[in-house]
Formats: sequence, structure tokens, C-alpha cells
Amino acid sequence: MAQSEPLVAPSQARAVDARAGIRAESRASASATALLGRVAFNGLLVLVAFIALFPIVWLLAGSIQTIQELYAGVTFWPAVPQFQNYWIAWTRGGFSVYLPNSVFYSTVAVLGILFAASMAGYALARVEFPGRAAVMFVILAIMIVPLPASFIALYKLLVDMGLANTRTGYLVALIAGGLPVSIFILRGFFLRQPKELEDAAILDGCNQFDIYWRVMLPLAKPGLAAVAVIQFLHAWNDYLLALVMFNSELLMPVQRGLTKFVSSDTPEQHILLAATAMSVLPIIVLYTVAQKSIIQGIMEGAVKG
Amino acid sequence: MAVAALPRSGARSRAARRATTGYLFLLPAIVLLGMFTLYPFVQGFILSFQSWDGIGRDTPWVGLRNYQRVIGDTIFWVSLRNAAIFGLVGFVFGNALSLGMAIAVNSMKRGATFFRVAYYLPGVFSVVVVGMMFAWILQPSVGILNRGLDAAGLSALRGNWLNEPGSALPSVAAVYVWYHWGFGFLLFLAGLQSVPRELYEAASIDGAGAWARFRFITWPQLTPVTTIVSVLTLLGALQIFGTVQVLTNGGPGYLTEVPTLRIYKEAFQFQRYGVAAAMSMVFGSILVALSLIQIWMGRRLGSSEVD
Repeated sequence: MAQSEPLVAPSQARAVDARAGIRAESRASASATALLGRVAFNGLLVLVAFIALFPIVWLLAGSIQTIQELYAGVTFWPAVPQFQNYWIAWTRGGFSVYLPNSVFYSTVAVLGILFAASMAGYALARVEFPGRAAVMFVILAIMIVPLPASFIALYKLLVDMGLANTRTGYLVALIAGGLPVSIFILRGFFLRQPKELEDAAILDGCNQFDIYWRVMLPLAKPGLAAVAVIQFLHAWNDYLLALVMFNSELLMPVQRGLTKFVSSDTPEQHILLAATAMSVLPIIVLYTVAQKSIIQGIMEGAVKG
Repeated sequence: MAVAALPRSGARSRAARRATTGYLFLLPAIVLLGMFTLYPFVQGFILSFQSWDGIGRDTPWVGLRNYQRVIGDTIFWVSLRNAAIFGLVGFVFGNALSLGMAIAVNSMKRGATFFRVAYYLPGVFSVVVVGMMFAWILQPSVGILNRGLDAAGLSALRGNWLNEPGSALPSVAAVYVWYHWGFGFLLFLAGLQSVPRELYEAASIDGAGAWARFRFITWPQLTPVTTIVSVLTLLGALQIFGTVQVLTNGGPGYLTEVPTLRIYKEAFQFQRYGVAAAMSMVFGSILVALSLIQIWMGRRLGSSEVD
């Protein structure tokens, strides 16, 4: 709607000038239409933002209410913020176990993915060797087999290897799952670097590993950052793998712990909301801080994936 | 002769060294991918002809029995249809919303970052968090949706959203759109930003209106993005799992059952891992076929950019 304004306004203005008699009236109505259009346009933007943000705001507001306030349903900001809801979820809900677990799994998975994917991406972008095209093809092929089609087989493999219900089993599954798209994103970054830098490094007596480690990795920092935050989100938000992998509550990450908490001892709603808020607050902080990298990573992944 | 051979063997050994280096760099990725994605895929294929209880080492061969079971499993096909409905709703409503809002945000001079960040926020939540949020919002007696309807004098519209046969599937579909429309929005926004400004300027000089500019510039320029977003929407919808499991667990009855949930239940609830593996194969083939279409479209996108 706002787009049409620059087009329409000049011609209207000219028309107004031509008919001086009704100038004032006509200009008033034109500006009224423009104003109406602007209000409707902004109103729509705000309405959609409200719908996008309302559920999380409602969750956060509910997470610090008493159960009476919650069920009375007239409160937004509670009379006395009940931060002990979080404490109860932390202690009785098992989040003192789940949350550190998630931090551990997500961090190690990201480090593992960065390590393996940056080396692979570098080789696929900058080292010429026979079979490179075949390797690329296989990685692409792996990428198109989605988790829902392979998690039963993955589970069987981990059972056979004695890795089901273990931290190691979960970590290797997370890392392997995150590799293909990360390799493609990082390969893209390495491809974009100028060849001259490499030649200069070779003249200085660098070997391939030096070039990767000292020249290319620092240059690919934006790519590494995008891969890191995207894969952190992925690992933190993973549910399906954690669901099939873990029986032991001591090993569960937050998403799995949250559903365990819901089903096990039917906790009260306000504690449940606090628990959910606790699982999502780190993600909201990460997203707010790193939204540029996240959005870039999502778009690179979508176009390359 | 010896002199002529020297540089050649030197080149060959350099090539061999480069090959070794290349594969050394690839080693960690190849080991991990080979063991935990490629091998399970082969094993899954074999398992789809076997019977397994999920615990023992014993996996007797059953031939095509698992596949016969899958073909006869009407609930599995219902689950595919449900997932396709989510995909279709996401395709129509989600993409209309994504495109509309992308055009709106793209035309803004100030505040675009805020709206971009806000619109994509739901996309960074986990399926469990989204499930918990909406289970609470849609809760029949004290949920805010029904309370809001009461407050607006529309008590007649109150519903037991997730438990009534008529409203369960549309409710989950609405949550799905809310959760995922931001993805298409981001891609459309990036697509719009890459449309050359001169095209619009030229059209303005020719006196083209807003609709004409959309119809003859924006829309054709966005075609590659639109196809990618559409296929990804459909692929994502077919794989929907956690949101459904937390919100309805497939119910009431099987009205919101989806393929991944069906596979999960077949294996971990009914201990028929062989049948679940066969379902994975059938379902996987459908997804792979769709992905191939996507890649093929992506290629066309790549080549049209070059032109």
C-alpha cells in the first residue's frame, strides 16, 4: 500500500495545482487517503508482529504468576512476580540436570561440527584431488535423506554399538547430522577467498595445513559464526534424536526433559510454563545477539541445501 | 628420456601428495558421515526386510512382509494425507503471508530490522516449546483464546480446539503456519532485495501502477525463490513431528497423525522395528523424490542467475 504512494502522489499533486479552486479540499482528501493507507499498512505490520510475539510473551508472563492468577486469567503482570516457579522447575523438575546437559551437548556438537566441516569444506573448495566431485555428490545425497527416514536405523546402529542412551552416541549423531549442510556453507566461504593469499602463503613456505589454519580459517570467520549459531540452535532444539536415544533422565537434554516433566508427575501449569521459559530463554538471548549470523546461516543453508 | 620423465613423475608425486592431503582433511567428516548416516541407511534398508524387537540381537528375515503391512496400514496413508494437508495449508496461507509481509518490510525505510527479527522469532523455538505454548493458549477451560472469545462476546465460538474432531487438524495447521511462515518470509525478503531497482524505476517512468509492478516485475523475478520456498515448505510439513506429538499425539483418533509420529509409534510403542524401517523407506523415498525436484529447481535458479 505504501508502495503506491510515491507513484500516485505527484500526479495528484499536479492535478490539484491545475484546479486551484478546489485545491485545499482535494489536497486534504488526498492526504487523508495517504494517511489512511499508512495507518492500515503500519497496523498490519504491527498486528503480525503481535501475533508472532504474543505466545512467547504470554508464556513468560504466565511463568511468574501464581497458579491462582494463572487460572483467574485476568493478570498479565503478577502482583508479586513468582520467580520461585523457576526455582521449583530447576530443582523438582530436573532442570538442574537437563539444562547443563543441553549446554554440554550443544557446545560439543558445535565444536565437533566446526572442526570436521571446516576441514572438509576447505578440502572441497581449495585442494584439487581425484574423486572430489564424487565426495561432493555423496554429501549432497546424504543431505537429502532426512532424519525421519533414517532415525530407526540410526537407533539400531547405536544399540548394536552399545551407544544408545549414552552421551557419546547422542553427540556423534548430532555432529553427523549437522555436517552436510555445514560443509556446504563453509565450502562456499572458502571458495570466495582470493587465490593470491594462498599463493603468497605458499611462497612463505606454508604447507596446506598452515594455509587452512592460519590463512583461510580467520578469513572464513563470518561463515564459522553462522554455522556455529545455526548448529547450536539445531542441537539445542533437537527433540526426535533425544526422544529415541535416552531412557536415563540424568542424560536428557532440555527438550526431552521438558516432555518427561509434562508426562511424569503432572506438574502444575505455572511450574510447567517456568520450565518451558527456562528452556527457551537462552535461545531468545542467542537469537537477539546473533540474529544477523542466524538469518544469514538460514538463508545460506536453504539455498545450498 | 630420463630427463623428460623427471618432471612428470615429480608432477605425479605432487598430485599424489595433494590427494593425500585432500583426503586427510576430509577424514573426520567421511568417518562420521559414513558411520552415522550412510551405514545406518544401508542397515535401515536391510532392517526393512527383517523383524526386530528393539532389544535383542536376533533379526530374522521376513522378506516383503513388512512392506505388505505398510501397504495395508491405512493409518500410515492417512498420516501422509494429513502431512500433505499441513503442507498445502503452509503453501497457501504461509506463503501468501510470507510474501505479503516480505514486500511490506522491504518497502520500509526505518524499523525493518525490528520486524524482520520479530517475524522470524517463532522459527528459532523448539517443537516442544511451540507445543507447550499453544497447548496453554488453546487450553479449553482457561486458555487465553477461549477467554478472549468470551471477553469479545463470542462465547459461541469457544472450542476444545485440540480435542474436537472438527478443529484438531485446522488448529495444528494454524500452529504450523505460525511456527514456519518466517522462513519463507526471510527467503522472499532476500529475493526482493536482489531485484534490480532500475526495473522499478523504468516501470514507474512508464506509468506502471503498484499491481502492474508486482505482476510484471516482482512476481517473475521471485519465481526461483517461490519454487524453493514452496518445495521446502512441503518437505518440512511432511516431516512435522514434535509439534504434533506435544499438541495432540496424533489424536483425536488418528485425525492429526503424521508419518514420522506413525513410524515412531510403530517402533518404540509397538516394538515393530522392521515395519517401522519399511515405513521409513517408503516415506524416505517420497521425501527424496521431492528433494530431487527441489535440487533440479535450484539448478535452474543457479543458471537463470548467470543469464
